[in-house]
Amino acid sequence: MIDDNSTFAILTDTTLCTGCEACVAACKNENDLGKDQMRRWKRKIDDLSSTRFTTIIQRPGGHSVRQQCRHCNDPACVSACIVGALRKTDEGPVIYDGGKCMGCRYCIMACPYGIPRYDWDKPVPYIRKCTMCYPRIQEGRQPACTEACPEGATIFGTRAEMLAVAHRRIKDNPGKYLNRVFGEHEVGGTSVFYISDIPLGFLGWKPDLGNEPLPKLTWASLTKVPPVIAGMAVAMSGIYFIIGRRMKFQAQGALEQEMAAAASSAQTPQGDDASGKAEPSAEVPTSDDDKASENAEPSARAESENE
Amino acid sequence: MSKSFSLFKSILWAIMGVWAVVTVARFINGLGATTGLTDATPWGLWIAFDVMAGVALAAGGFVLAATVYIFGLEKYRPFVRSAILTAFLGYLAVAIGLLYDLGLPWNIWHIFIYPQHHSVLFEVGMCVVLYLTVLALEFSPVVLEHPWFDRPLLQTIHKTVKRLVIPLVIAGIVLSTLHQSSLGSLFLIQPFRVHPLWYSPMVYVLFFISAIGLGLMMVTLESLVSGWFFGHKIRTELLGGLGRAASVVLLIYAALRLGDLLIRGKLGLAFDGSWQGSLFIFEMMVSAILPAALLAVRRVRTSVAGLGVCSSLTVLGMIGYRFDICVVAFARSEGMPYLPTWMELAVSAGVVAGAILVFIFFIEHLKVYENDPSEHAEPFIPPSDDIAGIPEPYPALIASPRRYSLIAVVTAALTVGFLPANAVYGPQPEQNPVSSARTVDAFEVPLEGNAGRLYLLPGAALPDAAPAGAKHTAVKVMLINGNRDERLVPFNHKDHVAKLGGDTSCVQCHHQSIPFDQNTSCHECHRDMYETTDTFDHILHVHKTGGNAGCVQCHADEPARKTRDTAKSCQACHEEMVVEGSRIPPPEQGLTGFAPGYMDAMHGLCIGCHEDVAKKGDKPHHARCDTCHRPDTELAESAQFMTGERAVPGRRPQ
Repeated sequence: MIDDNSTFAILTDTTLCTGCEACVAACKNENDLGKDQMRRWKRKIDDLSSTRFTTIIQRPGGHSVRQQCRHCNDPACVSACIVGALRKTDEGPVIYDGGKCMGCRYCIMACPYGIPRYDWDKPVPYIRKCTMCYPRIQEGRQPACTEACPEGATIFGTRAEMLAVAHRRIKDNPGKYLNRVFGEHEVGGTSVFYISDIPLGFLGWKPDLGNEPLPKLTWASLTKVPPVIAGMAVAMSGIYFIIGRRMKFQAQGALEQEMAAAASSAQTPQGDDASGKAEPSAEVPTSDDDKASENAEPSARAESENE
Repeated sequence: MSKSFSLFKSILWAIMGVWAVVTVARFINGLGATTGLTDATPWGLWIAFDVMAGVALAAGGFVLAATVYIFGLEKYRPFVRSAILTAFLGYLAVAIGLLYDLGLPWNIWHIFIYPQHHSVLFEVGMCVVLYLTVLALEFSPVVLEHPWFDRPLLQTIHKTVKRLVIPLVIAGIVLSTLHQSSLGSLFLIQPFRVHPLWYSPMVYVLFFISAIGLGLMMVTLESLVSGWFFGHKIRTELLGGLGRAASVVLLIYAALRLGDLLIRGKLGLAFDGSWQGSLFIFEMMVSAILPAALLAVRRVRTSVAGLGVCSSLTVLGMIGYRFDICVVAFARSEGMPYLPTWMELAVSAGVVAGAILVFIFFIEHLKVYENDPSEHAEPFIPPSDDIAGIPEPYPALIASPRRYSLIAVVTAALTVGFLPANAVYGPQPEQNPVSSARTVDAFEVPLEGNAGRLYLLPGAALPDAAPAGAKHTAVKVMLINGNRDERLVPFNHKDHVAKLGGDTSCVQCHHQSIPFDQNTSCHECHRDMYETTDTFDHILHVHKTGGNAGCVQCHADEPARKTRDTAKSCQACHEEMVVEGSRIPPPEQGLTGFAPGYMDAMHGLCIGCHEDVAKKGDKPHHARCDTCHRPDTELAESAQFMTGERAVPGRRPQ
């Protein structure tokens, strides 16, 4: 569980953001990201990319909204990762270990905010995304972006502090903000909050992502794996055993019938009723085309098994 | 073996040639260079077709194995071997296709050492690895019974595997059940991206059942095709049985899928007129409803044509199902469509062609098609074969190993010629040519509080930011390509000349002029918005310095390799290149003929001055982005000015 007093979070107040991109510059500098280039896989030079972990989205009406990894409490990317290359740390950031990664990109598919980016231009590509400056947090410093913001529009602190600040600002300025801290409960809560005067649904794949953590959706199916293994194995062995027995009796029955016929006797063989579960032999003549031919060669399997 | 068969093989080898070249390009230059994938479409054709559809198409293996070994329907035994071989090769193709798609395929073994059991993909991966092993074992008797493998140790293995066949089959069924369904579970975590008509909380059930139906139909299609190629008798009465089973399975699939949508109230989306709705109806008809209905008719399922049509429909439809959920009906950012490149298609086609060629090899050399035990058929004779060098009944020109090699090499060579530049040299940044600035008549309106000035085209309405009674001054304003949301930067040239010191101030900004020119415009060297431009004209310099004799004038160190790095700096000859009094500091290593991108050049030139002015205090807004990139300037809408003209590298626009 996430302890709000010990994990860290970022709060971005879009009403204070002027769109100066000081956070972007600080991020690029801190992570040594280099120059942005226009690429086939980008719409604009300042889209999030493997050289830009955070960016400012300009919205109609002069609104600037910073886009970055939300560091979810129960991250879809972490649950999707096949080798555990992505990890939610105790401090809050979701970090990536390229040494484990095999490049399946399921994390990019899974992220509800469309954040992880890929080194498409490199023959040895890695996932690239905001790490909330995890190395700096470990040193007891704040991330480069929040440190650089000249307007105090994006600030850093413990999750509990940031939530308190957000709620206080909303309470103290009635009518200024939408009455909602974006990220407080969304997809199980995130470590990056927004307060805003405009709806921020455009930051996710759907305007309303709900409050349920996404990994729960897959876990529901994964918990069915052990019963399916056991169930299928038992069912298949059982069917094999029962049908095998039935066919053996049928073969026996056929043999007896033959012998009986040879002895010019008109007695009906009783063999196949003995198995209990097997269908009575009386069905044979009335069964449909498939079953008729099935029963026509009852001894074939016995032979083939003993090959 | 017919002529059509050798033509078929020729085509397969041609694809292999293309595939080989694209493979090299893919692994040298990466995914961005060879695919159409983007961050909005991280999974494309290779996952949808090679992995998703590939695994589903190979479902015939476990379905047939279950039918014959577990349910004891012995009459279908003739199909088992080919179905298991298809499954084995199918899964091998899946694994190979996956290696192309993985960014770091050499780390694929990490699945064993860093397992993450919360990931559906982990479950799929492990099942596929294990099932591939099971399939290899299940098929091994067919290989080991060949006289060539008649060695004591191998025969011991052969006998052991034969004894273990039932446990192996059961393991195969369990593993198949798990991963056929889990491929669907992969999409559970994307309720926001998969279209509601495809998203379902029980998508894994749908994937599993559709895989059974598809597996049955795939075995049918395969028998029909190989029967046609090799002239086997097509056992329609047996295939009809498979068809009948498929009919039931497909009907269950359709009922479950539609019922699930109906209960959750999403079925209406199919009829809302959207393209996704139409696609859904089309997919359901082709993949399940039509074949299920047709196969329910006895006459259809016992005729070759009927079986052919139904199996083709199901196979295409079910591939479509995988495609739709993974790529087509999957949300992506606006303006970022996904279209696979021909190289992606070539890899997918190549993997399939390779699998088919190996399949043919096995058929030609091993007893893959068993005889129907009920028939007193003539003993199995492998089709005459060209690979092994057995004399052919047709001229060597039509088909021979040499012929196939030639075809593959020729198509490979052609492919090299057709490779796009990105695939050869690595992905290049896209070009954003800068258009030249244009001068237009406009009005200048000062804003309140010294917050800069507004430029308006004649006839434009006054925006809110301007004070009501503001004075309008008619000025000439230059429209500079600002390429930020198609916004232009209005620039009052005359004003800047006056502020920077009159007629002698040109050099401060126009730091370099091309020959016979004064005050060369910025965009003539800084030709791309973001990318560095090489303005050095080597041919011109060779000409000017007197041909080959002139090399030493620049490349003074003769033994050294003649590159830019070993040549003299431009300033060694062109002392006047950087004009005295310029605001542009020359780079440390001297001018090399590389001009930075337009955006960097303009920002580098303007922002320094503007910051100085802002620091003085009376114009606090002067260094802000919106001083120049004004969102409220009416000129912002004059983006059409940008489209008219484009700087031609090395030439002045007339």
